[in-house]
Amino acid sequence: MKTLNIIPFLIAVVIVSVSNLVFANDSKYMEAMQKNIHSVYTAQSIADLQTAVNTFERIGAAEKTKWEPFYYASFGYIMMSTKEKEAAKKDAYLDLATTSLNKAKEILPNDSEIIAMEGFINMIRVSVDPASRGPQYAALTMQTLNKAIAIDGNNPRALALLAQMQLGIAQFSGLSTAEACATTDRSLEKFATFKSDNPLAPQWGQQMAEGMKSKCQK
Amino acid sequence: MKLFYSAFLACILVTGYSQTRISGKITDERGVAVPLANIVLVDTYDGTTSDTEGNFEFTTTETGTKILLVKFIGYKDFQREVVLEGKPVNIAVPLEEMINELEAVMITAGAFAASDESRRTVFKALDIATTAGATADIAGALNTLPGTQKVGESGRLFVRGGDSNEAKTFIDGMIVLDAYSPSAPNTPSRGRFLPFMFKGTSFSTGGYSAEYGQALSSALVLDSKDQSEMTRTDIGILSVGGDVAHTQAWSGGSIIGKIQYTNIRPYFGLINQEVDWEKAPVSLEGSSAFRQQIGKDGMLKVYGNFNHTNYSLYQHSIDDYNSKFLYELTNNYRYLNGFYKQSLNDKWMVRGGVSYTYQQNDAFADHDNIVETEKGIHAKTVFEGSLSDKVELKTGVEVLQRSYDQEYIISDGDDYARSFDETIAGGFAEADLYTSNKFVTRAGARLEYNDLMNQFSVDPRISLAYKTGTYSQVSFAYGKFRQTAKNELVRINPTLDPEKAEHFILNYQRIENNRTFRVETYYKKYSDLVKYENGNAAAVNNAGSGYAKGIELFWRDNRSLRNTDYWISYSFLDTKRNYLNYPYRSTPTFASKHNFSVVYKYFVQSIKSQLGFTYSYTSGRPYNNPNADKFNGGKTPAYSDLSFNWSYLPKPYLIVYLSCTNLLGRDNIFGYEYSTQQNAEGIYNGRPIRQAAPRFLFVGIFITLSKDKSVNQLPSL
Repeated sequence: MKTLNIIPFLIAVVIVSVSNLVFANDSKYMEAMQKNIHSVYTAQSIADLQTAVNTFERIGAAEKTKWEPFYYASFGYIMMSTKEKEAAKKDAYLDLATTSLNKAKEILPNDSEIIAMEGFINMIRVSVDPASRGPQYAALTMQTLNKAIAIDGNNPRALALLAQMQLGIAQFSGLSTAEACATTDRSLEKFATFKSDNPLAPQWGQQMAEGMKSKCQK
Repeated sequence: MKLFYSAFLACILVTGYSQTRISGKITDERGVAVPLANIVLVDTYDGTTSDTEGNFEFTTTETGTKILLVKFIGYKDFQREVVLEGKPVNIAVPLEEMINELEAVMITAGAFAASDESRRTVFKALDIATTAGATADIAGALNTLPGTQKVGESGRLFVRGGDSNEAKTFIDGMIVLDAYSPSAPNTPSRGRFLPFMFKGTSFSTGGYSAEYGQALSSALVLDSKDQSEMTRTDIGILSVGGDVAHTQAWSGGSIIGKIQYTNIRPYFGLINQEVDWEKAPVSLEGSSAFRQQIGKDGMLKVYGNFNHTNYSLYQHSIDDYNSKFLYELTNNYRYLNGFYKQSLNDKWMVRGGVSYTYQQNDAFADHDNIVETEKGIHAKTVFEGSLSDKVELKTGVEVLQRSYDQEYIISDGDDYARSFDETIAGGFAEADLYTSNKFVTRAGARLEYNDLMNQFSVDPRISLAYKTGTYSQVSFAYGKFRQTAKNELVRINPTLDPEKAEHFILNYQRIENNRTFRVETYYKKYSDLVKYENGNAAAVNNAGSGYAKGIELFWRDNRSLRNTDYWISYSFLDTKRNYLNYPYRSTPTFASKHNFSVVYKYFVQSIKSQLGFTYSYTSGRPYNNPNADKFNGGKTPAYSDLSFNWSYLPKPYLIVYLSCTNLLGRDNIFGYEYSTQQNAEGIYNGRPIRQAAPRFLFVGIFITLSKDKSVNQLPSL
């Protein structure tokens, strides 16, 4: 009789393996992504960021239909650009950020988060050479961010980036920062209420908005 | 039973969870470790990133045959099949360098590129617009670069001992027959095209691509902007007139229309001029640019402008100031340029265009009427692409057809007319061969057939560049160039051979994080220059010749001083030629031995202003004194100028602009002109050619109306 006991055991093994095949793939994806999203948020050096970006690229290439790995790879490259000193290399990282983001865009077109990231890239482009790029890229940044906000008015990151750009322009031309500060407040409100069904949804940007808030209160 | 269970579990563990360890080392072609490369087991999450020594190691539970992919920026992907069966796998990964724009050596001999898109250029479009003393004139700004000789009374580009007609302008690859607005005798003319129209400027002082023909000394290649992103209206209120422009943008396209009226009369009423104007210049100019993206990779650009200018002045006799006659000029100009580019696939693109220039000078000198008309059509198609990642090819064909006509309607004598038609059919091919990111050879040739003298010609061009360090490189260029002689010579003898030049250029350049240093030396040999037979201007041949050689230095730094950008240029020139009426080889009157300039730009945040200063110095130029024995033996005093500009941005959509040339009010003398007849004492009377006024003061207010209030006209100034 004891041998018969093996049958349910075997069945259990089979069921577990099969179900693993069905949704373990997704939980494996979730787990790998969550771990690596944490890495990209906390990475301090270009090397750590590149390591995280490499992992996103591996996951993205294996999965093929998920936009998140490319979105976060793009984010990682933007962060690398901000840490790099040399202008030509900053641009090279931004080019890679754009390439990754375009892959995300192909999978999920017209997404507010992805378009906000495009605005983020344009904004960093301005900072590489404000004098000669300012006029063109500043307008382009505003345009992209406004598009992201038009798609989803509740996207706190799009608002935070817009506030950042408005603040930059106001400071450059010595104008009132009232508009930028109002956008900051709107962004913080949206951060407080931000909810997403997607556990991998972007979380970044709140600190940036809080930083601007404290500048506004001065 | 327990044993059975354990054995069964062990079995499952071994088959299901068998692990393979994959390790290796990643190096480049020179054996140097490549850190941070991405190691990917294709179609799985497994993989890792190489460490600082290029080593990597990871384990995978995958089994069977898989592909291991290694990738890193600047290198070609590496792929290898691996068999995963539990045995450790060790792979040495040699990565092969990719030829890429960022790392690869560039051909810089003779070339100054200004672009907002390409990253390693010496100049940006905005730099041209904000150079003091240039008042937003392209030639004015380029005159602060090495290789140019300032000729204050002309305003045109004179490059390396060449006459101004040896420097040609191309817009989107298409030739412009006369790139300058008309100006009164001995007053500087301005370029017809404003810097804000272009996203890239490439100014070559020699050794340029086989794509460009009909230029002996210099090619100024301007790339017009793609579509505008934003609907806006720009208004300019200038001390010498006004302009209004409107841009309508839609997704994938835009159209710009601009109209400008310039009237310098009120200004000349206030500030005394050396020139005896009857009617100071008035001009009306309109331009329009249409841009449309076609499909995903196509772009259509159409640009057109018209200009109507009129002025009249009294020319006084050198011998007797009270003897004067009226000179009146009306100039009509139209330029139309259509350009199309299309990517054929990810490796090849085609671009082509047609340009049409019409220009007419209708002049009255005393009572004689001289009407000079020139029309030209230029059509061109170019294919560009890569044969492999190490070979890039550019090849194209073109036709330039122009007709010239001059009519003399003489009040006291027989009228006559002289004209000619010229058709040039050309083709060129040029290949860039990269041996590595460090070494490139560009070899090409240009074939031309000219129907005026029924002649075929082949002109070779070759350039080499070698990267000597991360930031530095040397390059060399050689080329043969030809150009049909000036209209006023060809109309006398239409079978004249083209004039020819040979360039040899050696360049060293170092660009490191916003600091640029360049040194360049060259030798240029002229042959077949047009010469008067026995001093007779009515009979011309190709017996002339000449040379130019020199050394040039350039330093630019916008890093060391906060909010400050400056550059310094110095050119040494030694040139002589025997052409036109020269009895023997001598230095032409437009050539100066030493040219020096400093451009300084400073942004002052507290007053929201950019301040700019430009200082230029040009050593004395030769002039011919017919009373002296030696031809071109005289020498003018040195020229110097300190100019200033101030851009003030009180609101993001408003700019106030002020500029003044020659702050110190120096009385510059450009040369001397002499009477054609001896006076009673047997002496030719002479007088100096001076600036029309010591200073030129310009004030403008520029307003931009758009939905987005953060936009201003700064890039258009």
